[in-house]
Amino acid sequence: MAMKIDGQQGRDAPERDALDDLFAEARRTPPLPSETLMARILADAKEMQPRAALPISMPPARGPGFWMRLSGLFGGAGALAGMGTAAAAGLFIGFAQPVDLSVLGDAVLGAPLETVELMPSVDTLLGGN
Amino acid sequence: MDMPRDMQAETLDDQTDAVLMARYAAGDPAAARALTQRLVPRAMGYAARLLGDGAEAEDVTQEAMLRLWRAAPGWRAGEAQVATWLYRVVTNLCTDRLRARMRRPASALDDAPEVPDGDRGAVAGMIEADRMAALQAALDALPDRQRQAVVLRHIEGFTNPEIAVVMDIGVEAVESLTARAKRALTALLAGRREELGYGDED
Repeated sequence: MAMKIDGQQGRDAPERDALDDLFAEARRTPPLPSETLMARILADAKEMQPRAALPISMPPARGPGFWMRLSGLFGGAGALAGMGTAAAAGLFIGFAQPVDLSVLGDAVLGAPLETVELMPSVDTLLGGN
Repeated sequence: MDMPRDMQAETLDDQTDAVLMARYAAGDPAAARALTQRLVPRAMGYAARLLGDGAEAEDVTQEAMLRLWRAAPGWRAGEAQVATWLYRVVTNLCTDRLRARMRRPASALDDAPEVPDGDRGAVAGMIEADRMAALQAALDALPDRQRQAVVLRHIEGFTNPEIAVVMDIGVEAVESLTARAKRALTALLAGRREELGYGDED
């Protein structure tokens, strides 16, 4: 918009020129906001501002599950599998009682397994000798 | 949002108001500062001209900006000009204030608005302050709508179609209001040429 700052040219309408001068002056000297107002508005802005998008928060990391911890206790899944196999084999042998194994056991122990005292009884210990 | 990736590198001053609104809504604190520096002086100046009272104008400006912050998250670029929207809010808030003032018993009428006189000479500054006080007194004497139209047109520098949006009226109505306001101001200020410092300046 063209501003007519110097209103001296239109002599026939001096009042109107004076008015244009006043408008021009008003444009040059706007009422300015105080520092306090600017601070108040910035404080409002801060309070009203939506938070910056935060990175999606992960659920708290859960510890290893029960089976993982159990296998860890025995040295990992591999060791656990080995132990399971050994347990199953022992169970099988106990039930099946293969003849060859009984013979071998007798040969090693020198007597049938049932009669061998592998662990001394408490009475023996208490009785002395 | 289709913003260039290297936005951070650019200065915020180059951004449109609508972009700053979006960045404010996205949580950028610098956008709040840029919008405040850009819009508050304009809103404040306009409110002061409408109300003729600096303190009230500050309250209105703060309230209008509060509404702006609130509107930011739902702001859709292209729907409305931010500045036009803000002027409209200021206009309505000032109208409410003036109506409330009418209902109150009249306070001191000689509350001249404070006009900053910058670095100019003291006398020139005083004459200018007097002129601005005279202009403000004349503006205060106008009906609300005429005052809004003439301030928007001749002090804030809006075009008639922009004023039509701010005031929510047709362009013809704006022209009519502005013309009537100028006639009224001319009449109010007539005979005060000497008083306004035009007498022996040239």
